[in-house]
Amino acid sequence: MSTTTDVRRHRGGSTIAWSLVGPTLLLLIAFNVFPLIYNIALSFTNRELVGEDSRFVGTTNYTRVFSDPLFAGALRRTALFVVCAVGAELMLGFALALALVREFRLKRAVLAVVLVPMMLSPAVMGLYWALILNGNYGVVNQILGSIGLPQPQWLTDRDLKFWSIVVVDVWMWTPFMALIALAGLSAIPPHLYEAAEIDRASRWRVFMRITLPMTAPLLGLAVLLRATDALKQFDLVMATAGPNDAATQTLSTLLYQTVFRDGKIGLGAAFACVVLVLVIALATVFTRYLDHLRRARET
Amino acid sequence: MSFLALEKLEKRWPDGTHAVRGVDLAISEGELVVLLGPSGCGKTTTLRMVAGLEMPSAGRVRLGGADVTALPPSQRDVGFVFQFYALYPHMTVAENIAFPLECAGVARPERDAAVQRVAERLDLVALLGRRPRALSGGDQQRVGLARAMVRKPRLWLMDEPLGSLDAARRAEMCELIRVQQLADRVTTIYVTHDQEEAMRLADRIVVMSQGEIVQAAPPREVYDRPATLFVAKFVGSPGMNLIEGDVRAGRFVPAGAHASIALPNAVADGRVVLGARPEHLRLDPAGALRGRVALEAHAGPWRHVHVEGPWGRALALTSAHETHATGAEVRVAFDPAGIRLFDAASGRSLA
Repeated sequence: MSTTTDVRRHRGGSTIAWSLVGPTLLLLIAFNVFPLIYNIALSFTNRELVGEDSRFVGTTNYTRVFSDPLFAGALRRTALFVVCAVGAELMLGFALALALVREFRLKRAVLAVVLVPMMLSPAVMGLYWALILNGNYGVVNQILGSIGLPQPQWLTDRDLKFWSIVVVDVWMWTPFMALIALAGLSAIPPHLYEAAEIDRASRWRVFMRITLPMTAPLLGLAVLLRATDALKQFDLVMATAGPNDAATQTLSTLLYQTVFRDGKIGLGAAFACVVLVLVIALATVFTRYLDHLRRARET
Repeated sequence: MSFLALEKLEKRWPDGTHAVRGVDLAISEGELVVLLGPSGCGKTTTLRMVAGLEMPSAGRVRLGGADVTALPPSQRDVGFVFQFYALYPHMTVAENIAFPLECAGVARPERDAAVQRVAERLDLVALLGRRPRALSGGDQQRVGLARAMVRKPRLWLMDEPLGSLDAARRAEMCELIRVQQLADRVTTIYVTHDQEEAMRLADRIVVMSQGEIVQAAPPREVYDRPATLFVAKFVGSPGMNLIEGDVRAGRFVPAGAHASIALPNAVADGRVVLGARPEHLRLDPAGALRGRVALEAHAGPWRHVHVEGPWGRALALTSAHETHATGAEVRVAFDPAGIRLFDAASGRSLA
């Protein structure tokens, strides 16, 4: 509050203020605001990738989006992906953090190794995993075969490939959850555990009543970040199964398919708008909840 | 048999520090013992070993006749008040106080009733719905106290509970703790580096220095008859006046001065340190020691007069009406009943 009034009072400073904020503002308008508005405009047209012919079609695209079984399928699949992948990442990451929070020899080295998957590019990782899980010459099936176990077609079996992608995503992002959880766990003052010991709390109660609630806000933030990211799942699917595979199609790959393969820009724009509204709604609900948690703690 | 006994308690840290060196202490039921000493003297470590938060390197802790040395804190039935409160920040005051009962599986209605009772005793009722962060330091520590009290443990252990409060709050809380302790007659060990707090609270003060007990006695005795020069300096605000010299033929002869002071008791000749509290010094024309007024300061009903002479420095308490010009020649007389002698080499009290 006081800073805004200060800036207003010093009228002479407004030139400097604008020159400092201006470039960023221009960039934001050029790359965020304009595309958004343009996208909304496109979503009411029948614009296609090839051909100049484009006219206003009203809400036709939106009606198509909501009646399209592909969209419903992709939405369901993406939701399942977010829930399963982020859920598993949260639980595995938290467990990993609990194991890593104590001091032990070579802790730094172990931590560095654990973080590797997170540091690599998702697209590259997708290609690597496509090789690793390849049904004929992949490392996994080689090992399974050598010990006489069945060799499932991880990436081509209709029922398996979606879960293979979930597993790869979990492998990639569990370290991220672990890192955030570790930060949360390390921030709990040790004397709280001493107090709990004096208060005769069982280990389970300490976990449920102290460890978990005290790391919850930070974990919530990590879940929010991961969930919005997983909602946009694209690179892994593209690298392993491609954009037009009914068993693995997510919202993002369906969008890609619609615009760049089918060439239907207007319909794609409507898709994008619906997804955007969905993500914003989810994120808003979630941040409200986190805010509520934080505020409750300070009264 | 004593209620709580520490037997030859030792603590060595992994880095080699010898924090507690053979502490022997017997505490009777209902007693409030204050462990007093400067920081690093091992008092907090001793307390934490009694709580079970720290494992002794050697020695035993007996509570109620049973050896509890190897037991974790949860099996010792103690309440602990931490220096920095250690309240659970995500729980309300009521939940914090109720937590030990929750852990004990006490049913909701009884829990609430117990919290209400303790909250009334400690004047916390209005704060029950708040969270620790919204409370002042003094209020937070009252919650800490309530949490330690609510289960009615066999022992209250307090680790510098008032260390981070301002002076006014500290005096108020001191009184509160003593009143509560007397009401329940709970055996209590209280750790502090503040000798005034110790005086106010203790049935018995245990002065510690460098991991060892130097003196364990009621406050009056620690004040009147300090066992060593260390206690003489540490206890009392300001500490005892100490003057180095010799005993010759039953009289004290200060080093570097042509004077002598008659001693009330017969003491063998030798190098000694004479100790006397400021209230046992008078400025008197017939006094034995000659000196000059170095500084004078107002101290409520008293006036602090710092006197300097070839024998050293001394502080005398005089009436607030008396004034002395800085640099004025004065003579200092000693009240014979207030004279204490310490062996110069060992620092121990002589008779």
